[in-house]
Amino acid sequence: MQLGRIVKVLSWVFLVIPFLTGCWDRLEIEERAVVLAIAIDEVKPEAAKEERDVSHLSGEVPQSQKRMLRLTVQIAVPGRIPLGPAQGGGASGEKPVWILDVVGHTVEDAIYNLQQEVADRLFLGHLRVIVVNEKVARKGLQNMNDAFRRNPEIRRAAWMVISKGEAADIIKLNPELERVPALYLLTVLDGAVKQGKMPNAFLGVFWSALTSKGQEAYLPYVEIQEQKSILLAGLAYFRGDKMVGTTTPLEIGHFMAMKGINPGGYSALSDVPGESGAVLFISSDRTAKIEVEIKNGLPHAKVKVHIEGDLAEKSNAQFNLKDPKTIAKIEKRIGTKAGKAFEELIHKTQKQGSDILGIGEIVRGKHSAYWNQSIKTMDKWQETYKEIPVRAEVTISIRRVGMKAE
Amino acid sequence: METPREITVLQAAIILISTIIGVGVLALPRIAVLAGDTGAPLITLLGILLAFFGLVMITLLGMRFPSQSLIRYSEVILGKPIARFGSIVIIVFFAVLTALTSREFGEVVITSVLRRTPLEVTVIVMLLLAVITTRNDITTFAYIHHFYSPLILTPVILIVILSLKNAEVVRLLPIWGNEPNGMFLGVLTVAALFQGFFILTMIIPAMRRPDRAMTASIWGMAIAGGLYLIIVIATLAVFGAEEVKLLLWPTLELAKTTSLPANILERLDAAFLAVWVTAVFTTLFSSYFLMIHAATELFQLRNHRMFSLFFLPFVFIIAMLPDNVLEMYKLIEIVGRFGLLITVVYPTILWMVALIRKKRGKSHAARKNR
Amino acid sequence: MFFWRRKNKRENTGNIDVPQQFLEKHKNEKINKNLEDTLVILQQLLGANDDIVVRRFRVFKEFSAAMVYCSSLVDHTQINMDVLKPLMSTSYRDETWNSNRLQEIILEETLYHSDLRLESDLSKIVRSILSGGTLVFIDGMNDGFVVGTRKVDKRAINQPGTEQVIRGPREGFIEQLGTNISLLRYRLPTADLRVKTMEVGRVTKSKVAICYLEGIASPDLVEEVKDRISAIDIDVVLDVGYLEQFIEDNHMSPFPQIQNTERPDKTVAQLAEGRVAILSDGSPFALIVPTVFHQFYQTPEDYAQRFLMASAIRLIRLVSLFFSLIASSLYVAIISFNPELIPTQFAVAVAGGRAGVPFPAVVEVFVMEVSMEILREATVRLPQQVGGALSIVGVLVIGQAAVSAGFVSPITVVVIALTTIGSFATPAYNAAMALRLLRFPIIFLAGVFGLYGVMVGIILIINHMLSLRSFGVPYMSPVVPGNYQGMKDIVMRAPLWWMKKRPASLHTANRERIGDAVIEKLKQPPSNTLNPINVGNRKEDPPDGDTT
Repeated sequence: MQLGRIVKVLSWVFLVIPFLTGCWDRLEIEERAVVLAIAIDEVKPEAAKEERDVSHLSGEVPQSQKRMLRLTVQIAVPGRIPLGPAQGGGASGEKPVWILDVVGHTVEDAIYNLQQEVADRLFLGHLRVIVVNEKVARKGLQNMNDAFRRNPEIRRAAWMVISKGEAADIIKLNPELERVPALYLLTVLDGAVKQGKMPNAFLGVFWSALTSKGQEAYLPYVEIQEQKSILLAGLAYFRGDKMVGTTTPLEIGHFMAMKGINPGGYSALSDVPGESGAVLFISSDRTAKIEVEIKNGLPHAKVKVHIEGDLAEKSNAQFNLKDPKTIAKIEKRIGTKAGKAFEELIHKTQKQGSDILGIGEIVRGKHSAYWNQSIKTMDKWQETYKEIPVRAEVTISIRRVGMKAE
Repeated sequence: METPREITVLQAAIILISTIIGVGVLALPRIAVLAGDTGAPLITLLGILLAFFGLVMITLLGMRFPSQSLIRYSEVILGKPIARFGSIVIIVFFAVLTALTSREFGEVVITSVLRRTPLEVTVIVMLLLAVITTRNDITTFAYIHHFYSPLILTPVILIVILSLKNAEVVRLLPIWGNEPNGMFLGVLTVAALFQGFFILTMIIPAMRRPDRAMTASIWGMAIAGGLYLIIVIATLAVFGAEEVKLLLWPTLELAKTTSLPANILERLDAAFLAVWVTAVFTTLFSSYFLMIHAATELFQLRNHRMFSLFFLPFVFIIAMLPDNVLEMYKLIEIVGRFGLLITVVYPTILWMVALIRKKRGKSHAARKNR
Repeated sequence: MFFWRRKNKRENTGNIDVPQQFLEKHKNEKINKNLEDTLVILQQLLGANDDIVVRRFRVFKEFSAAMVYCSSLVDHTQINMDVLKPLMSTSYRDETWNSNRLQEIILEETLYHSDLRLESDLSKIVRSILSGGTLVFIDGMNDGFVVGTRKVDKRAINQPGTEQVIRGPREGFIEQLGTNISLLRYRLPTADLRVKTMEVGRVTKSKVAICYLEGIASPDLVEEVKDRISAIDIDVVLDVGYLEQFIEDNHMSPFPQIQNTERPDKTVAQLAEGRVAILSDGSPFALIVPTVFHQFYQTPEDYAQRFLMASAIRLIRLVSLFFSLIASSLYVAIISFNPELIPTQFAVAVAGGRAGVPFPAVVEVFVMEVSMEILREATVRLPQQVGGALSIVGVLVIGQAAVSAGFVSPITVVVIALTTIGSFATPAYNAAMALRLLRFPIIFLAGVFGLYGVMVGIILIINHMLSLRSFGVPYMSPVVPGNYQGMKDIVMRAPLWWMKKRPASLHTANRERIGDAVIEKLKQPPSNTLNPINVGNRKEDPPDGDTT
């Protein structure tokens, strides 16, 4: 028993020793520079002169990394954001975030450069929004995605958005609704998802689409309105990691309808056949199905969408909604119009070979024999997608007409 | 050493479940997807079946020799010299398995959460946890597994359910995969993740009703295998095959993508990893326990406590051998596949020889007079 | 393991008599016929004590006699009325007088006191005097009369201080063993209640009573308890807690393995489940063995309340128990290691709150926890008059001033308050204490490894709890090893009629608690006796003011 006790004590000693040597990872929350948002812009290679040698010697940059990026970051300043409901207007004069910019050859490079000038350790665990300049996106996001993927602090649920114009401007914006600009941008995006204005296309979804062989990626596309507010201007769609085009806001709705993403947040103003007035239709619930058939060695896709919704407005109209025929007419009208619009969007993306709907995935999944035989790679599908015929078929059901009876 | 017959069928099944489910879950989807593309669930299923075959062999042997563990009855079946060699190989194999498990988890922890903590510290903490606990008897062993089992099952199921909103069925298609390359090796590697089932050979002699061991192994394998399968399916459906190939620990990434409703926790990866300590602990605990009990029986000692600290340095050194994560995974694959010889092929041989030579253990009732 | 070791030791030691000065000299001595001789011996032994009274008188106005008692322990009225008066006032003359006859007359016809016996053994005589008996010696007689005249002042039975209930009996044990047993007896008017007494303590000679229900408690368990208690050899036993430390299974564990209670109703409930209660003279607590962990967060009130409410409250208690153990360490882990887990807005705000604090969260929490413990201990010890002052100081210093001085962050105060209050919600003080203590190592681990450390700490604690046994019963039963019947009383408190069986882990001889008939009755639809439709049809004359 004596021996056993000694062994027991010894084992405890061994257990405690590693603890005593230090708290390697302890880093208090106020000692972290909490980065809330990052904006990535491209700058001319001459800007390299601004850079000091932090992660590499000046002459020794790999050839492929000649392009220069400018990172603008928003760091939360601890004392400025009060705990609990703000009392009075005490700290309103002071900005709750600190905005810094830095240049670098890659994202990680720039972050290391930034660390060199910030006292606290940069903490990316609360990075919510990454804004990327359209110009950068058009040249390809492969490298920055790699950096973000490797860093365990980055959330997969963070947002990546493409900006029209300088990304830094979006970060520097001072919105009125929220004290912290990055959180406002977050609210804009989250709110849009909740209202059905945008698919929930966070970073993880983007990455998954990016790697999928039969689907291309898309990201929200934002734009500053008169230096004040942020407009959700559409979706930026990609071919591989390169951005190739944008949609209009309404086309986001079309896209979501074809993917069957709910809730529906877009409305359509439609004329009524045979009458003079117009009605405003708001979609609420949609189901969609993409059917693919292989004919003559080419996939034929048919997008079947069923949209349910309400009538929100009837203008200049003499007709009476009580007549079931009228409703049927309106339904049909909106259906054909929507079908055309959907096909247009598809043609638009087909021109760029950017299959954001994921028709390729369906081919790969459901017609794998064909896929294995004649497609196999992502590049091949991008080419094939340009040629395939796609038809959209939309049916509409008007469920409610609001509080007014006729 | 007489062991008290206290373990119920339920406990035996639970021991199997919590032993099998461990750190392997984190990398499993990647391994399966690399081998079979979208056929990953199929590969996992085949792996489960292969492992289950091994488990059935162990169970049949255990029911044939209800009061002995494999170390003892292999001597009866094959004769002392060969059986002893086999037992030594088993002990060494489980030492390596323990080491690699602790190393793998250590790597996960220092890569994703404690990024500046030395690897040695995280590994030795896990090992010490197992060492201290192995000093208890087999009843407490069963209790510990029993108690932690809900802690192991709930987070996985929770994450799978929460992640379903991002899932797309088409990513699972076609179920046999577009370009399955190395399907066979993949099945072996997946089956190797189930090698913890070998612990059953230590459990059966302590079971109250050894004749019902088969029920325990069917349930244990069904639940553990089912859980592995839904993880693979969920990961694949959320990320898609190509994305999974890029992720070192897809299951962890799954936890990262999901958040609890109402913003209680914004991301679940660190919390998941914290809870996962229990799962890894139970796995380590079992393999360490198996190792020292096998050694105790091999050298016919009365008290297993002596060995529990004795093996620690060796296991620790083996754990430190691989240079980096990628090399470690290569080693895990190789060791795992080789291990199937021990955990599946060896029991099969034993069983067949036992059948041919008509060897049979003393029955439960007769044992009392020994 | 400990259990096994003790058994061995017991075999070796055997029975050693307690050494006492008196016994060593006068072992087996008897008193003789001569009154004066007896008095001289007693004078020698007890004369140094001023409260020993020797009162000489004549029995039946004829035989010289003496009465010896300890004036601090006896009831003087009783001595006067029941002993002196009959002996002195009666005059008795008979032809057939002899010494034997006198003894008979006194025993059977003269003294009307119920507690009366003869004693000749000197050591026993001394013992009776010292425990409040009155000794009457009559010259020429071999035996002395022992009259039980003990009277010791005792406290009134009032509400137990440590276990308050809102609904349920208000009685608590007091220090006197006799009273305590009477409290049990009147709740258990059954012949099956067995009370075995033994004496423990070389000097205190404390009476220890082992109570159990014959036919319910496992006989092996009763034997084991007797065994463990009779092995105790210590000079003083002032509280039943002394016994607890000798009979528990694992002495090193922070967790109590024996429950103590001040409540007779709780004791009775445990007896009825098949447990054994140990009471000791001089202690208002009863020990209950064997004890498993879930008993520590149950209160007798749970069973008096209706089951839904009781279950909800028990759930709250469990949560608070959990909180008291890990809330502070989780806070440390999240703040210093994984701030990405909490919502961004909150994280930024917390960082603001902590901005001025000079210490790392771990030190901050540690200091606060220690000061809360100091405050708690001070509140227990301090005289009631200054209690108000202390709480004001406590609230001001810990709450307001510490925050405004920038010493701690406001959220830390909230977290510490939660853990402290959480630990007070645990009904059993000793279990709450264990968890309170254990949170310090977990805070430490959290400070080194973050969430990973917290988990390692919890695993260590749970592993330890799973390896504990109380008289062979696994500490975490019935959760582990699983027992469906027992689970009904763990997290929720199932309706009483669901819990038909006694806990399986106690291996009781009789397991049924509830008759099948009552369950059948419960399944019947309620007979609506006063249903207005039925009653109203009878057309009775409505009394005044009734408007049906």
